Amino acid sequence: MSALTATILEDKMDARTKSVAPDEGARLGFRLTLPAQILVLFISAFPLLMQLYISVTDWSPLSGVGWWNAWEMWNSFANYTDLAADTRFWSALQRTAIVMLVCVPAEFLLGLALATLFADDFPGKRIFYSILLMPMMVVPAVAGYMFFMLFQSGGPVNDILSRLVGTPVTIAWLSDPNLALIAVMIADIWQWTPLMFLILLAGLVGVPEDQMKAATLLGANAWQRFTTIVLPKMKTIIIIALAIRVIENFKIFDTLYIMTGGGPGVATETISVYIYKVTTQDLIWGYVAAIALAILIVLSIVAVYAMKRMAKSREVPA
Amino acid sequence: MKRSVPFEIFRYAAILAAMAVTLVPILWMVSMAFKPIGEWSATGADLTWWPKHPTLANFQFVFGHSTNDLIVALDHTAVKPILSSLLSAVFGTVIAMSAGTAAAYGLSRFGSGQNLPLALIQLRLFPPMAVMIPVMIMWAFLNLNDTWWGLALIYGIVTLPFAFWLMKTFFDDMPREIEEAALVEGCSRLRVFTRITLPMMRAPLASAALFVFILNWSDYLIALLLTTREWVTIPVYMASLSSSMTGQLYGAKAALGLIAAVPPVIMGIAIQRHLVRGLTFGALKQ
Repeated sequence: MSALTATILEDKMDARTKSVAPDEGARLGFRLTLPAQILVLFISAFPLLMQLYISVTDWSPLSGVGWWNAWEMWNSFANYTDLAADTRFWSALQRTAIVMLVCVPAEFLLGLALATLFADDFPGKRIFYSILLMPMMVVPAVAGYMFFMLFQSGGPVNDILSRLVGTPVTIAWLSDPNLALIAVMIADIWQWTPLMFLILLAGLVGVPEDQMKAATLLGANAWQRFTTIVLPKMKTIIIIALAIRVIENFKIFDTLYIMTGGGPGVATETISVYIYKVTTQDLIWGYVAAIALAILIVLSIVAVYAMKRMAKSREVPA
Repeated sequence: MKRSVPFEIFRYAAILAAMAVTLVPILWMVSMAFKPIGEWSATGADLTWWPKHPTLANFQFVFGHSTNDLIVALDHTAVKPILSSLLSAVFGTVIAMSAGTAAAYGLSRFGSGQNLPLALIQLRLFPPMAVMIPVMIMWAFLNLNDTWWGLALIYGIVTLPFAFWLMKTFFDDMPREIEEAALVEGCSRLRVFTRITLPMMRAPLASAALFVFILNWSDYLIALLLTTREWVTIPVYMASLSSSMTGQLYGAKAALGLIAAVPPVIMGIAIQRHLVRGLTFGALKQ
């Protein structure tokens, strides 16, 4: 037995010295990627298992037992059935979708419009460009506070409106359910239009100028050039820009939470705010784990589907 | 391409309008930071766009407990939150950049870790809120709650995708002739990486590090969940600044907001050239 093990081991050693030793690179590559692999594993595998485990129990940090003993509070998937009937969850999801459907197209169109203005050189371009990029570099929590101040009923937004209308305007932006959502979306559009502008401009600059000139000579007007040359060339870039904003907008939390705290009532409660509140105020972590897992699963399916679609469209030469 | 005069007029008008929308919120906060308490929430005809009596009292207040203007005093000044933000963001950047750069080089040159590009994009896809329960439990178990080093660790992981992808595209773009020459000279591959590649990549490394630092410095949600008292960061501390006596401490918060906003804006302008690459995970270069 031990002799057999010894020969197997020897064989293995042989194989290793033969195949790996000359390839110093593979070994170094493995070592270099190891820390990143460990970090990824540390934040994905174990936490996901833990999340799965807790999600089928009533466990909460106040329940007096360690999370590993959560099985004592097994509730036979009640969290998941509760989730299906949780109207607050579904309305938060719906609100997140509304915010996304308003903000992302608005940011895209504004960003694209700005990018077309910046496509060729003009005096002052660089300084205008730097200033227009500033909002996306402002810490989101600080941006939230800026807009919190701006939308106070005695604040500057109403002041500007008053001057335009001629009579004092005192709209309570942040305490009206509908207006609060609009205010929150305005803040998001202010902060992230620059990102669309930045990415789309980078794509626009890459459109070959000789093609544009040729089209002009053939009598194409600006709009025709834009739709037949510029847009097709920018297809991939537009998809990337939209994908980034959709992903980030789905997570919307910082600005919104500082502006309204999800209120008034639940009027601006998006999915991240809802989970945050259940986590910190209601403290039912078993339920939170179930919500979080459900979201992760749905997002993964969407992501896999989207990547397959992208891979397919890449096979077809543009 | 030649543009007509009306177009130029339209262009400048549109850009100036965009500039106004961009700058008004920022300038309002800057102005608020220098307003004395009497002007903080003045409304109607009294509303001032620029402080009538500019003062540094707001800054004195957040750094030194109290000023003569304000009856309230802070039980803890902004010094430690600033330190906390700095330490966690800097060390988070160190973690993300070390692991990310090494892995990017390993993949770019030796094809190791083929799973990493996708795994890291997935990491970025998920809302942090959806994985925070296990993280909070793990951090409590490891005694990392409410410490700057605990924050630094999670920041390092959260921004690892950006560090990795940025450095991967930089390594992919780099010409390999010099590395190959050094190999022929008898240098080991590790030595080539540490003595030749890394020094050559100093500028891209610095840009990537600044980019990652901005992301770490901008966090609010994670710090809100993982810090409670000792090591709260600037945004968490700022949000907690309001008192039952004076309500919102507008000016003090604006002063802090200004302190938090200045470093990333300056850094962002400094690395403008690489922003597109960083934000699109290297899919796009400028």
